[in-house]
Amino acid sequence: MAVSVDPIHQFELQPLVSLGHIGNQQIAFTQSALYMFVAVGIIALLTIVATSGRSVVPGRLQALAETLYEFIADTVHQATGAEGKRFLPLVFSLFMFVLILNLLGMIPYAFAVTSHLIVTFGLALVVILTVVIYGVAKHGTHFLGVFVPSGVPKPLLLIMVPIEIVSFLSRPISLSVRLFANILAGHIALKIFAFFVVQLLVAGAWGVLSPLPLALTIALTALEFLVAALQAYVFATLTAVYLADALHPGH
Amino acid sequence: MRLSTEFIAGVIAGGILGYLFDHLLGTKPWGMIVLLMLGFVTGIYNVMRVSGFSGQKAEKDRPEGS
Repeated sequence: MAVSVDPIHQFELQPLVSLGHIGNQQIAFTQSALYMFVAVGIIALLTIVATSGRSVVPGRLQALAETLYEFIADTVHQATGAEGKRFLPLVFSLFMFVLILNLLGMIPYAFAVTSHLIVTFGLALVVILTVVIYGVAKHGTHFLGVFVPSGVPKPLLLIMVPIEIVSFLSRPISLSVRLFANILAGHIALKIFAFFVVQLLVAGAWGVLSPLPLALTIALTALEFLVAALQAYVFATLTAVYLADALHPGH
Repeated sequence: MRLSTEFIAGVIAGGILGYLFDHLLGTKPWGMIVLLMLGFVTGIYNVMRVSGFSGQKAEKDRPEGS
């Protein structure tokens, strides 16, 4: 059988152009990097070229770009207030990047970049470093108010402050693991259920049952499209919520 | 999925902190023990906050589900 049975095989990195070695580690331009460039290209096409007409009555692509922009602008405004406007480019870029990469990953035989923990963790690190650097630059030591929950009796602060500190440090982890785990699990489930169809078809009389996993695969595909969009939204919303902390520390 | 990552992230953060603490101060294994427990507590606290079980108001504008 030529088709790879291994559900993990689709996540392997294939080096396209080798850029040399550092130690024993090959540094290469992989298909993952290629997909990221493609995603950036699509985003640029959608947001720059499609809106370059600046028509008052938008065409299809311009309407799509404007809808996405206003959607994120609303989300950021709700979470951070008027001051959060300056973070809109960051949140919008992150949202579009994750959304396009998730949707690209849904194309059959395509590679899902966001199924790699290091990619999502890099994105989460950008968010958290922005929060910390901006918070410290703007509020100085007052930024430490993030770790002091309001309305808690003084003696309890002895326990609550360490918990808040660990909670703050767990944010980039939960932010990245959530996106990565959703995409990874979804793609593995799709692959496994789709392979059940093939296995039943080659199993003689059992082939009668093969429409069952096929129906499930179709349903899962729809679900994965929902997850792809929803996780991009969740990522953007949580980014906005964390940035709100940088703007207004001390709850 | 959402609640479980929240919990796991707390424990992992505690574990990493504990490991670094031990590594830098040479207090093996106490930093790991204390901070893993703290991470466990944080994980539960995070889950309670996200699901709105705790007394205080859940963080506003957090999306529901998944």
